[in-house]
Amino acid sequence: MIAIIDYKSGNIASLSAALDRLGQQYIITADPDSIRQADKVILPGVGRAKPAMKELQELDLVWVIRELKQPLLGICLGMQLLMQSSAEDEIECLGIIKGSTKKFTSLKVPQIGWNVVAEINDDPLFSDIPNKSYFYFVHSYYVPVISKTIGSTLYGKHFSAVIKQDNYFGVQFHPEKSGSVGQQLLNNFLNL
Amino acid sequence: MKVIPAIDLIDGKCVRLTQGNYNCKKKYFDDPIRIAKSFEQQGATMIHIIDLDGARLGRSINADLICEIVDILSIPVQVGGGVRDLRTAQQYLDNRVDRIIIGTAAIKQPELVARLLKKYGAERIVVSLDIKEDEVVIEGWMDSSELSLNQAVKRIYMLGVRELIITDVSKDGMLAGPNIELVRRAEIGNMKVMIAGGVANDVDIQRCEQAGLDGVIIGKAIYEGRISQFQLEADSFRKDAVSNLTKRIIPCMDIADGRVVKGINFKQLQDAGDPVELAKLYSNKGADELVFLDITATIENRLTLYELVEKVAAQINIPFTVGGGIRILEDIGRLLKFGADKVSIGSTAVTNSDFVKQAAERFGTQCIVISIDSKQVGDSWEIYIKGGREATGIDAIKFARKMERLGAGELLVNSLDRDGTKQGYDLALMQTISTAVNIPIIASSGVGKSGDFLDVFSRTDVDAALAASVFHSRGIDIQRLKKYLLANNIKVRI
Repeated sequence: MIAIIDYKSGNIASLSAALDRLGQQYIITADPDSIRQADKVILPGVGRAKPAMKELQELDLVWVIRELKQPLLGICLGMQLLMQSSAEDEIECLGIIKGSTKKFTSLKVPQIGWNVVAEINDDPLFSDIPNKSYFYFVHSYYVPVISKTIGSTLYGKHFSAVIKQDNYFGVQFHPEKSGSVGQQLLNNFLNL
Repeated sequence: MKVIPAIDLIDGKCVRLTQGNYNCKKKYFDDPIRIAKSFEQQGATMIHIIDLDGARLGRSINADLICEIVDILSIPVQVGGGVRDLRTAQQYLDNRVDRIIIGTAAIKQPELVARLLKKYGAERIVVSLDIKEDEVVIEGWMDSSELSLNQAVKRIYMLGVRELIITDVSKDGMLAGPNIELVRRAEIGNMKVMIAGGVANDVDIQRCEQAGLDGVIIGKAIYEGRISQFQLEADSFRKDAVSNLTKRIIPCMDIADGRVVKGINFKQLQDAGDPVELAKLYSNKGADELVFLDITATIENRLTLYELVEKVAAQINIPFTVGGGIRILEDIGRLLKFGADKVSIGSTAVTNSDFVKQAAERFGTQCIVISIDSKQVGDSWEIYIKGGREATGIDAIKFARKMERLGAGELLVNSLDRDGTKQGYDLALMQTISTAVNIPIIASSGVGKSGDFLDVFSRTDVDAALAASVFHSRGIDIQRLKKYLLANNIKVRI
């Protein structure tokens, strides 16, 4: 079973539609036990970091997420929350991956649209996805390129489009909105 | 500048000639389809294919193979060699070949070129002038035309040709550097020039770019590995190396009673199809996003709209925006819950700006698109509401800045002056708003032809271009439009 973490900060409709298209069973839940028992966990997220973290704290999910051993995919804000801290409202995040998010300054903010993801490291997450495929981004903050970056994108500077540390994966783009390559990436994650 | 790999065909095989001599051909790769695909994968943004049998015999010999190559590629292709009659030209241009290259026929049959320009437009017809000992040569480089380069350039310019390929035959296949001086001496006016022949390495490419050329066609140097894959791609992307974000093409569907409709100013509405089917078609053709506008926006129609949003969300895997009749926060919450990615707010943003702030705080700026209807008054633009029926006296540029401050994620800019005119986007309005704010701008209103998209992307800083009727009527095919933009150095997702 796949658990989508429900913390009132995601566009769950698009994500669940994408999982439906892949014929996957999933639950949308904030229940710690259901999340712990899931085979795969997805942390979606759009909107602001501060209310999102506050919600995760109130739901007692911070330690649940930090102690997961199964693959977890953070999407957009969900990826940024995996970091130690965010420049957005200067807050502490989940602290799973070392580093912090920064705000775009040189070009238009938010970055909205399709941009190229260069695969830096080979990874099963990129299976059957041509290098330099286009994915759909909507964001004002970014994770710089760090040692955990496995895919990068250029917008003013190179930033982390995909990060990976042990069982934690994060994508800055929206795979559920990125056409067939996005669908393939979700499928790859679910088949890990 | 475009870096264009070349494929020369003889007997269905990929070959390279030296100085145009058919007797010293050197075969490189047997399978032109595989090599074309690999160029695309290496990041080429256009491919140049010449039917050498065709050039020599004066008719297309490898046409079927060429059409097969074009079918498997998603980047634009220009094709030449033996295009000397209307039938051959049409065979290519009507079969997804983006541009044809005319050599001999441009000199010998100017009426053919004029006819093709009229039917297909100057952006699909390229003339190739091949130079040997200061004279333009024809018939597969075997005969002289007795014209100098400048005499030939003048003639074809008068015909309406705007894109040229200049090849110094003596440099071809020699890897001794291109003859940039030859192009410098040519009186080309405002024509775009691609150079071919002799390009050997990355330095040559840089020299061509510095010379202001529009493109460089490379053969042997690529086959012999003298130009790195990375370099090929870097050059294709160099023009805007700070970002690889692409410009978006957005079809807009006006919705009434659950159907897509066409019509001007709510009058004479015509049915234009089922929104879900149309959305699927556009998405498959390469649309980057979709917009649905509920133009009736009555309470009774609301349920039909939610059902539609749910259906679209289930079947479409690209982002879509829904607008029309959004007045309270609950309207936004519901549309997002049913699967919309963004909402477009029009009149309510003007009459109640606090609403924009609340919406951005509650749902995030990324999903708030503010739709601005503006009309030119002297040197400025005024905001209109209620579908363009009511003037507000508010300055559009000031309003745009205010919306950005309140949390708009994007602005969709409509021009009431251009709406339905097919005269092109209001470039002055688009550029003025683009420079006034630092959020993405979606240009809207006035599209009549593909060149209008090129104008708005090359002459203003907008991020996306929206259009409705030109897509519904199948007048503009999105896939072809994007290839055309790419061929003109606009970064789009293919």
